[in-house]
Amino acid sequence: MAEICLSNINKVYGDSFHAIRNLTFDIKDGEFLIFVGPSGCGKSTALRMIAGLESISSGELLIGDRLVNHVDPKDRDIAMVFQSYALYPHKTVRENIAFPLRMAKLPKPEIDRRVEEAARILELTPHLDRKPGRLSGGQRQRVAMGRAIVRKPAAFLMDEPLSNLDAKLRVQTRAEISRLQKELGVTTIYVTHDQVEAMTMGDRVAVLKGGVLQQIDTPKNLYDRPINAFVAAFIGSPSMNLYEASLFGEELRLGSQIIRLPAEVFAARPALRSSGERTVVVGIRPEDMDDASIAPSSAEIQAAVTLVEGLGAETVVHLAIDAPWVDAGDPDAIAEIGHQRSAVGRFSPKTAVRIGDHARVALNAANLHFFDPETRTSIW
Amino acid sequence: MIERKKRDVGGTVINIFALLLVLSYAVPYVYLLMTALKPAADVQQIPPSFFPNRITLENFSTVLATPSLPAAFANSLMVAVLTTVLSLVLAVPAAYVATQYRRSFTTLFLLFALVTRMVPAVSLGVPLFTVLKSLGLLDTTLGLVLAHTSTAVPLALLLMSAFFEGLPKELEEAARMDGCTRFQAFVKIILPVMRSGIAVTALFSFIASWNEFLYALLLTSEKGKTAPIVIAEYNSVYGLAWGPMTAAAVLYSLPVILITLILQKQIIGGLTFGAVKG
Repeated sequence: MAEICLSNINKVYGDSFHAIRNLTFDIKDGEFLIFVGPSGCGKSTALRMIAGLESISSGELLIGDRLVNHVDPKDRDIAMVFQSYALYPHKTVRENIAFPLRMAKLPKPEIDRRVEEAARILELTPHLDRKPGRLSGGQRQRVAMGRAIVRKPAAFLMDEPLSNLDAKLRVQTRAEISRLQKELGVTTIYVTHDQVEAMTMGDRVAVLKGGVLQQIDTPKNLYDRPINAFVAAFIGSPSMNLYEASLFGEELRLGSQIIRLPAEVFAARPALRSSGERTVVVGIRPEDMDDASIAPSSAEIQAAVTLVEGLGAETVVHLAIDAPWVDAGDPDAIAEIGHQRSAVGRFSPKTAVRIGDHARVALNAANLHFFDPETRTSIW
Repeated sequence: MIERKKRDVGGTVINIFALLLVLSYAVPYVYLLMTALKPAADVQQIPPSFFPNRITLENFSTVLATPSLPAAFANSLMVAVLTTVLSLVLAVPAAYVATQYRRSFTTLFLLFALVTRMVPAVSLGVPLFTVLKSLGLLDTTLGLVLAHTSTAVPLALLLMSAFFEGLPKELEEAARMDGCTRFQAFVKIILPVMRSGIAVTALFSFIASWNEFLYALLLTSEKGKTAPIVIAEYNSVYGLAWGPMTAAAVLYSLPVILITLILQKQIIGGLTFGAVKG
């Protein structure tokens, strides 16, 4: 087990593409850190640099107290679980799990003992003599985990290890990985683009965009106190709704509608006060919106209902708000929503709104987020 | 019910056509075998008959009594085996590096490697003759191995590149994370995983060298002669010995058939490599 320290790490491909810029942070011994970000943000590149599979253009990487910039992957004492699992297809499960121990030239009885132990922990004992080709996706994933844990390495690196599993198995395996990490207490870096994995598994989450670390914090802090509009929109599902608005005293003008902000908003965000009118980007989390006919609020707006998705426990309602929509800068989100730039609200399942209605939407004004329209940083 | 019957009939017709097609490939070889089993008088009869009127092994006896043939068979075997080994040793790592560590010039490299396959073999014969003569390797097994390898490597490189294209890069990376150097990862993980592709490439290299005639004719004269040259000598200015020649050809084809049968599983695995996502 070890601490991992990244100091001004850069990765430049050729002489033009800057994939990682000045990545600096420490991962504490035994900590579970999640790398999250949109496609191409550099999260896998950062992980692969820590693994030693990508060279470091500049900066320092320390594992424990050792500078490992130019150390071979095999000598870094870290194990990695790949997205594709990368199991050796010609070897049995037993041979796959034993392989790193054989490479470390451990005595055979010790190898057997450790393989049996790993297989027992991961419930792979009945499958030890099978080849990976005869295993299900979940079992293959567990073999990949087994190959990592059997070594008792200083750190685990996991590159989207659950992305090839179906939704149900993903939930189950997510819990298993979290439990295993807590039990073993091994420093772990986990790359994902899945919101839920990021929020539920890690002690801390590092959000990357365009190769730049945006914020590294606990999941709760990322959600409650995002550093900028990108983090605010990226963390949480559905994403935070961002609109341009103007603030005049305690009145927030959202398009043609006016919301009176409670005093606690200004108490929490002193920088929000201004003498005259100022333009801001307002962020509304979907869970801070509801059907005003069921949950009345002092802050209400009118919006046209464009889509209703009943999920049982809640109803996701898409709303057209007459205010300038703001792009958070998440390329994946743009790809997903395309030109349909409507707000999304998580309404009570009792709501009776229908497509085409002009609904009264209750806002939890105390939970609104505010960002500078130029820099997109949070206003606190 | 009627639909199902229609489907069954359709399937049967397709199967019959497929069988006929496969048999048509076998006809020349079966004719060779039949000729080898005919008595000398029947071989040149007009009109020719497909099946022998009487089966005899006299042609095989004649072949086995030919003094130059065992040495020629041994030469052929030695040349084909060494060519195959040398081609694989050169082409497999080269193809792996070319495909897995792709650079801007990789495609150019692979295309350039094919140059010897693009020009007629005979046009390379004279330069090869000159080079081998200057090295004192004319009429030697080693000389012919080098000549065959020069044409076998590009083919092996191309085949192995196609196989390696389907190989996930993560396999090597996982091995390196598990404690291997790049070379260990290649030897302990990549080569065993690629055994089907290697088997197919080895077989093609072996067959190409085993059957090769032109360079053997140009570059050998006595000691280094391979079986195809000796077999061809049954037809000479002194007479046309079709019977012994076909018998020798049948005997010469047996090792290839045997190897193909032994490697059948790997060959089918290799030919369908990457077709199904694992």
